[in-house]
Formats: sequence, C-alpha cells, structure tokens
Amino acid sequence: MGWIERLLTIDRRIIFAIIALVLILPMIFPFGFRTPVTPPTQKLFDAVDAIPPRDKVLTISADYDPQTEPELHPMTIALLRHAFATHTRVLVLALYVQGLGLAEDALTTVVAEFNGRATSPQDSIVYGRDYVFLGWQPPPIIPILGMGTSIRQVFPRDYYGNDTDTLPLMKETETYNDMGLLVSVSGGSAPLWYVAYAQSRYGIRVGAGITAVSVADFFPYLETGQFSGMLAGMKGAAEYEELVERSLAVGGRRKAMEGMSSQSAAHIAIMAFVVLANIGYLARRRRKA
Amino acid sequence: MNLSPEPWIWIAALLTIAIFSFLIKENPFYRVAEHLFVGVSNGYFIAFMWHNVAIPVLVNPLRTATSQVAEEGLSRGLFNPVNEANFLLLIPTFIGLLYLARFFPQVSWLVRIPIAFYLGYYMGLSIPAILEANVLRQISGTMLTRASFTDWVNGMWGVVVLAGVVCTIIYFFFSREHRGALGAAARVGIVFVMVGFGASFGYTVMARISLAIGRMLFLFRDWLGIVR
Repeated sequence: MGWIERLLTIDRRIIFAIIALVLILPMIFPFGFRTPVTPPTQKLFDAVDAIPPRDKVLTISADYDPQTEPELHPMTIALLRHAFATHTRVLVLALYVQGLGLAEDALTTVVAEFNGRATSPQDSIVYGRDYVFLGWQPPPIIPILGMGTSIRQVFPRDYYGNDTDTLPLMKETETYNDMGLLVSVSGGSAPLWYVAYAQSRYGIRVGAGITAVSVADFFPYLETGQFSGMLAGMKGAAEYEELVERSLAVGGRRKAMEGMSSQSAAHIAIMAFVVLANIGYLARRRRKA
Repeated sequence: MNLSPEPWIWIAALLTIAIFSFLIKENPFYRVAEHLFVGVSNGYFIAFMWHNVAIPVLVNPLRTATSQVAEEGLSRGLFNPVNEANFLLLIPTFIGLLYLARFFPQVSWLVRIPIAFYLGYYMGLSIPAILEANVLRQISGTMLTRASFTDWVNGMWGVVVLAGVVCTIIYFFFSREHRGALGAAARVGIVFVMVGFGASFGYTVMARISLAIGRMLFLFRDWLGIVR
C-alpha cells in the first residue's frame, strides 16, 4: 500500500484520538491568548450598554438545552453579568422546557457572584426588584405574541410560583415597550421567531446568541439590522466575557474562554486533516489519470 | 488530580464515557446510556407537561368549574372564555383528543380535524410575519441606495452582496439554458453558493468542537480535577 492509500484509509479512530489529544492538552496547558472582539459581539455589547437602566429592562430568552450548553450557557452568564454590573434590570424566560434549569443555574451563579461582593442592600441583586425569572409558557409563538399585549397575562405566575402582579419589577414592565432589548440565546430558530412575531409587529429590538452551526444562516439578519447584535458560538461567548471583564471589571469564571485554546488547536488540526485528505485525493486522481 | 466526591458528577461522567465509547465501536455500555437518555428525557417531558400544562391549564379550571356548578348551579360565566374556569375548555380538549383517533383505523380520518385547526391557525399567523421578516426586509437590505455608499467599504460589500444574490438566483433559474450571459452569471452564482457552503461547514466544525470541549472540560475539570 502506497502512502497515498495510507493517507486516504486512516482508521477514523486514530483521527478521533488525535482530536481528543488536541482538545485535552490545551485545557491542561492553555496558550493564554487574548480574544479579539468581532463587530457582531461589539454591537450586542453596545446595545445592552445603551439600555437606560431605570427606564427599560433587558430580557433574556434562554431557548437552549443541555446539548448546546457549552456554547450558549456562557453567553447567558456573561449577559447577566453585564446587566447587573450596569444596574440594568432583567427578565428571564424560556421558550423551551429544557432551558429552565439552565436559566436558573445562570441566575443563581451570577446573583451569588454579585451578592458575594455587595456591601449594602442597594448593591445587592434582589429578586423582584432587579430581576424576575418568568419561567416558561407553551407553545413558543403564543407567549411571543402575548407579551406584546401584556407580559403579566402571559406569565401570571413566575418560575417560583409568585403572582407576577406582586413583583415590583413587573408592575413597571407591561409589554415589549418596556424592554430596551430582548436577547434570544438559542440553539434553534427562536431569535427568528422573535424577529418575525415580536419585532415586525411590536418593534422590539432583538439580539441573538446562537450556536456556530446557525451563524451563516443568521448573518443576513444582522446585516439588515433586524438583529441588534449577535454572539456566534463559543467564540462569541468568549468575546463577550472578555468585553464584560475588560470594560466593566466584572470577574468570575469564564467558561467559554476556558475552551478557546482547545478550540484553536482543534481548528488547526481539522485544517491539517482537510489539506492532507485533499493532497491524497488529488495525488490518487493524478495517478489514475 | 482532585477527584470529585459528588455522586451525580460520577454518574454523569460514567455516562459520558459510555456514550463516547461508541467512537471505538457499538457496545452494551453505549446502548445502556442511550436507552437511559431516551427514557429519562421522555419521562421528564411527560411529567413536566402534565404538571405545568395539563393540570394548570385544563384540569384545575375544569375542576373549579365543576365545583361551582355543584355549589351554585350552571351560570353564564361558566361558558365565558375570559373566565379561567369555564366549560368551553372542553371544546379544544375534544379537538385535541382527536389526535388519538389515528390509533383506531375506522375513525382515523378524524385526525385531520385537529391537524386542520393547527395548520390553519399557524399559517394565518405565520405567512404575513414570515413574509415581512424573511422576505421583504431581506430584499430591502439587499438593495443599493445612496446610503449604501456613505463609505467605500460598505458600498463595495453592498455591491458584492447584490451580485451574489442576483447570480445565485440565476443559478437556480432553470427555465432557460445556462448559456451566454446567463451561463456566466450562473457560474459566478455557484462560486457564491460554494463560499456559503464553506462558511457553513467551518462554523459546523466550530460548533461540534465546542460541544466536545464542553464534555472534555466536564470530565477533566469537574470530575477528575486535572484542569484548573
């Protein structure tokens, strides 16, 4: 068997083993490089920053599940850190059942971080005053439309069973008009639903946090201004973490950044595989000819 | 190395390894983990839907309405859709139950009724919204106006986008043979399509690698405590 055949018939388990090594080694010995911030991430950061803290709220729709957690969960955490650091009040909801647990985890983590550093009740993050976890209502399109008329009618009770009429933040937040920005963090099409059903009808500004798989499909919506900003996969999440830490001096575990060394190493390995496979393919074609 | 003392971390780690073992070959550990996942997911979903949808939206209001009848007799309010407790809920419940008709061959045609309601409702709702968001706004974003040329970089990309859209549409225009100018435009169109596929592939690799990183970080940080 010549080298060309050997190149084209590598046992796929060897490739899996190489990829595993390429992922694991940079985790143990990270490169420690900075992540340059791309325009879509910067746009979303600026859009969140531009929300008038006492006037409008940031709504985060956690429309993802554990499968896409490594890419999307760090986005939710970074967005919450940004909002709480700038005293922007937050509504959190989920269009999918599976997003509830992850949204609660993100809220618990970030609220504990801020309250751990707080020196007075004013500095603390208080449920009902600074944020509300609305929970989930099926099916997805109905709550999206309903929130244009009355958020409290769509969510008469929050995730913890409280009557939303009794929560101070909800008394000031009636409809989309009271939201400065809605960011849908999603492993599917949820950001497009918000654009189609909430933005077209009620004019709400929509941001998107999406998996890398969807980026090519979603870019046109950023270009037309239908998305006010976009976080693209783990890289986008790492960029947002960088911006929050650099601009607002807010620390905390940076889950997306932790994976970026492995991400870069794996990309180089995949590119090498693609080049090698193409060399083998072209050499075999030339030999046959 | 700093092994986690948490039993749930151990269970999750062993199940992760069981799933990864499929990369070597199909084996009983993988099958157990796969079946466990399907069973737990379905069980969780059914229980969640029952407790968070069926009971608060249907069972409790009907129970309240029934007890009101027992105490006060039938009243007009019990047929008012604005009231939470009302008997009109029985109509969508009945329509929804018709989905089960497909299990009985003699009346399986009845399943068309709930499907017709569902399709009719969502089409009516979606067509104008999708047309506005996905077609009209996108066409408007593709058009070149004086504002597109406020700086030369934006103007250049605007021209590239417009050329890409037009040439790609021509590539998928099959009513005339792709020869001459049409053929040349179609060949440019296929270049744009290939660039699009390349970008999608690159992002897909990034996404899949990210998921693998998530699991590896879980194993080497949360479970084994090797990664700090």
